[in-house]
Amino acid sequence: MDDPRIARLLEHPALWRGRSAARLPTLPSGFAALDAALPGGGWPRHGLIEILIPRFGSGELTLLLPTLAALSRGAQARWCVWVSPPYLPFAPALVAGGVVLGRVAVVGGEKPLWAFEQVLGSGACDAALAWARSPKARDVRRLQLAAERGRTLGVLFRPQRAARAASPAALRLVVSATGATLRVQLIKGRGARGAVELALP
Amino acid sequence: MSVPKQSLPLPQPTPPVQAPLALAPAPAAPAAARELWAGLHLPGIEGSGSLEELARALLHFSPRVSLEPPDGLVLEVRGSLPLFAGLSGMRAALVAACTQLRLRPRLAIAPTPLAALIAARAGLEVAITEAAQLTGTLAPLSLSVLRWPPPLPERLRRIGVRTLGALLRLPRAGFARRFGVAELATLDRLVGRAPELRTAYVPHLRYRRRHELSCEVDSHAWLLNELGGLLAGLEHFLTGRQLGVMTLECRLHHRNCPPSRCVLNLASPSAQAAHLAALFAEQFARLALPGPVRALELRARALLPRVARARTLWQPGEHGGDGAGEAHLLIERLRARLGAEAIHGLTLRDAHRPEGSWTATEPPPPAPRTVPAPAGAPGVQRPLWLLPVPQPLPVQGGLPQRGGGLQLLGEPERIESGWWDQRPVARDYYAARDVHGVRLWVFRERHPPHGWFLHGFFG
Repeated sequence: MDDPRIARLLEHPALWRGRSAARLPTLPSGFAALDAALPGGGWPRHGLIEILIPRFGSGELTLLLPTLAALSRGAQARWCVWVSPPYLPFAPALVAGGVVLGRVAVVGGEKPLWAFEQVLGSGACDAALAWARSPKARDVRRLQLAAERGRTLGVLFRPQRAARAASPAALRLVVSATGATLRVQLIKGRGARGAVELALP
Repeated sequence: MSVPKQSLPLPQPTPPVQAPLALAPAPAAPAAARELWAGLHLPGIEGSGSLEELARALLHFSPRVSLEPPDGLVLEVRGSLPLFAGLSGMRAALVAACTQLRLRPRLAIAPTPLAALIAARAGLEVAITEAAQLTGTLAPLSLSVLRWPPPLPERLRRIGVRTLGALLRLPRAGFARRFGVAELATLDRLVGRAPELRTAYVPHLRYRRRHELSCEVDSHAWLLNELGGLLAGLEHFLTGRQLGVMTLECRLHHRNCPPSRCVLNLASPSAQAAHLAALFAEQFARLALPGPVRALELRARALLPRVARARTLWQPGEHGGDGAGEAHLLIERLRARLGAEAIHGLTLRDAHRPEGSWTATEPPPPAPRTVPAPAGAPGVQRPLWLLPVPQPLPVQGGLPQRGGGLQLLGEPERIESGWWDQRPVARDYYAARDVHGVRLWVFRERHPPHGWFLHGFFG
C-alpha cells in the first residue's frame, strides 16, 4: 500500500475502488455500536431491510424507535406507516420515545403484502413497517423495488427460521434478546458481517 | 382641525365642483341605459336557501339573475320582454313565479339594478323605463333604503338631507370629501352614471351521464374499458370548469335486477380519468355482479372547486420533498381495495387506563408540520405494544409464568382509575422478562383473586 507506484495508480480517474462504491445515504440508528457495524454508518435511507426475530417482542422495535422518532420530527417529514401490526402500537409509548403521532398511520386489512407494496411505492412515507409470516422471495423482490421507487425505508419483520433462505433485501439482521442486552447479528449487507451487543436504554 | 390636508381622500378624477350629483354630465352612450332591471324585495324570507331556490326559478326569465342577500334579488329583463308580452306581462309572470314558491315580493323595474332594488325596498312598485324619469321617481324616498351603515345617514340628516332627491343635489366633490368616494360611486351606479357589474347567479352543478353498451357485458376488463370513455368525458367536463369530485358513483344497470352501485370516496377533489379508472378497477375487483351489464352510469353530486397545487422540484423524500399529494393517492387506493377502515391515525387521550389512553383517528393530514411537538415525558415506562384484551397468565408459587417463571424488573406502578364508570381498574403494573429475554408488561389485580395478566410487549 505504501508503494508509491500503487499510490500513483490509485490516483488514476478510471480506477474505482470497491470500498467507495457503496456510498448510499444512511440514517443514524441511535446506537453508536450498531452504526459502526452497519454499512455506510446507519440504516439505509431507502430500500428494504429484513429484521429476523426468534420470537415476537425480542427488542426489534426498540432498535428502530430512535430512527422512527428522528424521521417523524423532520421539517418535511412524511408518514411512518405500520402495515398490519400484530397488536396495537401503543401511542403513549411512541410519544415517550419521541415519535410525533401526527406522522403515524396504521394500515389494516386482509392483504398485508399488497398494502405494504402500495405504501412503499407511494412516495408518501419515510418509513414503513410490516409483519409477514412467510413471504415468497418474489414478493420480497417486489417490495425491495417498491421501496426504492418510493424512496422509503421499508422494514420487514420475519421469523428467524427465514435466515436460511435467500432474500433480495438490501440488509438482513437477526435480533435476539439476551438478558439485559440486545444481540444484533448482521447476516447480509453491502460489506457488512458480524454481531453487535447493544445495551437497551 | 389639525388633520393635514394631504390626508383627505380626493375623488379621482375630480369632477366640476358646482355640478350636482344627478345633473353631472352623463357618459355619451351609457350601456346601462339599454338595460332594464327588475328588483325583488322579499320581506321575511328565511335563509339563503330559499333565496337561491327563487333564483333558480327566475333563471327561467333571464340568465342574468343576481342575488342581493339577505332579502333581495335583481334580474335583467330587457332582453326577455318580447317573450312575456311586455312589461305588464313580465311583471305578472314574475309575481306568479314567486307565488308558486309562497313568496310575496315587492317588485320594481328600473334601468339600473340598484334603483330597481331600492324602489322595491321602499315598496314603490313602479316601472321606470327611461333613465330621465329615474331621479324624479326616486327623489321622495327616505335615505334608509340605501342601507348605509349607521353614522352616515345620521350625519346626512344633521345637514338637512332626508331624501334621495336632496342627497342627489349635493355637490360631488364636497360629498366625496365628506362622506367617502365609495358612497359617491354607489350613487353613480344608482342613477346609471357608472355601470354596475353584478355577479350572475350560477346554479349548483352536478354531473350525470349514461352509456348504453352495445351488448350485455359481464367481464370486468371490458367494463373498465367502457368506463374509460365515460371518465374521459367527466375529465373534460371538470377540467373545463376547474372542478373536481370527491364522491363519484358508478351504477351498473342489469336487465332484471336493481343496478349495482360502486361509490368512490376520494381524499381530495380529483378530475384525472386515469386515477379514477385505477380506483374503479380496485372496486370492480371486489364487486360481485348479479348479471350481465347493459348500461353504465356515472353520477357526481357535489362538484368542488379544485385548486391546483404547485409541484415541488424534488421527488418526495429527496432533499426534503414532502409526500403530500402522494399521501392522498395512497389513502384512496388503500380504501378502494380494503374498505374505509383500512387506514387510520393514532392520537392520545387523557386517561390513566392504558386501554383508554389512545384512540384511532382519521389518517394524519399530509401537510408538513411547522413546529415539532415536544417529546413525551421520560421516566414512565410504557410498552410499544398493547394487547387489546389482557391475557391471563398461569401462576406458580406466587409468580406469573410464561414458558417459565417471569423475572420482575424494577418497582411496580399502580394504576387505579375508572371508579366512576362501569370499568374500574386497580392494577399494579410490572416490567418483566421471560425465559427467552422478551420484555413484557404484566399486572397483578389489586382485588381478589389477585390474578396476573399480560398486557403488553416492550418490543
